Amino acid sequence: MRGDEPASARLMVMAQAGDKQAYAALLGECQRWLRAYLGRKVAPAQLDDLVQETLLSVHRKLATWDSSRPFLPWLAAIARYRWVDHLRRIYRADEAALADELAGADEEPAIAARISLERLFAQLPSAQAEAIELVKIEGLSVSEASQASGQSESLIKVNIHRGLKKLTAMIEKA
Amino acid sequence: MSRGTENLIAELVEDLAPVRPLRLSRGVALALGGLTAIVAFVVGLLGLRQDVRLGHFDPVFLLGSGLFLLLGLAATVTVIVMSRPQVGNDHSGWAWAGATTALLPVAATISLLGKSSVGRSPTALEHDIDCLLAGTGLGFVVLAILVWWLRRGAPTSPERAGLLAGVAAGSFGIFAFSLHCAINDIVHVGLWHWAVVALSAAIGRLAVPPLLHW
Repeated sequence: MRGDEPASARLMVMAQAGDKQAYAALLGECQRWLRAYLGRKVAPAQLDDLVQETLLSVHRKLATWDSSRPFLPWLAAIARYRWVDHLRRIYRADEAALADELAGADEEPAIAARISLERLFAQLPSAQAEAIELVKIEGLSVSEASQASGQSESLIKVNIHRGLKKLTAMIEKA
Repeated sequence: MSRGTENLIAELVEDLAPVRPLRLSRGVALALGGLTAIVAFVVGLLGLRQDVRLGHFDPVFLLGSGLFLLLGLAATVTVIVMSRPQVGNDHSGWAWAGATTALLPVAATISLLGKSSVGRSPTALEHDIDCLLAGTGLGFVVLAILVWWLRRGAPTSPERAGLLAGVAAGSFGIFAFSLHCAINDIVHVGLWHWAVVALSAAIGRLAVPPLLHW
């Protein structure tokens, strides 16, 4: 899938028609892309679960892709939705180490920039992004995040709530 | 690839069945089918308003009904688009139709302020409430169709999708009922017909999102 949007789209058309071999190839590519895409924004131990949840969503919502439109922005919208949902559910993660590469960025810089999670995150006010980053992604407690950021504990909670609400509304925005 | 992911992919591949992609045109056609059904119900069972039957079209009726129809169409198309996720989608087009329709209550309020007495007769109030309830009730047909469609799709913002489904339902509902409602008063159309859209939007925003999470 690295930069091969037309090939992915072709595989998807075949998968929608019921071609299992094409579907297996497509899901294999999807999981590689998702690991790289989501790897920077979740703790490593949660990555497998999130990738699997996203693959399940891809499977359930296969009919929502339209062959007249590009494949990757469709996959990215589903991944973003699952990621925001994941952030909502996870209040504490023990791991803070982050995976380090975003495959596909070199091959398709324009598309990658357009659909990147960082770009989505960057649209949040900095205090909200910081609160989510510290508590939901790095796994700090609310009081630890309060000390690290200088925001009061109640402000951290409010900023997480408002930030996640905004992220939900922006999932499809480039 | 981890063993768990490998197994999952194998299961998903095994489970694959051909799917029919959700087409924008099919979704819009279904919603318009709902609109046609409620218009047929209003005209067939309640009766077309007399002035329209005689070929006379009041400007307030034309303007009000036209705006609600346009808002219903814009909101419907947006809802159908929202069923297919895509980074880069823009869901804001309906807002212009919404803003234009919001001129109706503004005009009604200005008109009310200019009157020496703002009281409504009990009969008029009864008709106001009839329109509110009938328009909202008729809109439920369209709301049900849109919710069914959205549940087949993958809306990434269930709250906004619910709100817009309510706007579309209310707009179509009051458009249909306005073919029966014989009142051409801007206060009635601007406040009570518009209230149908506002009420349906609130219902959509509050009741629909839990049905759309996926």
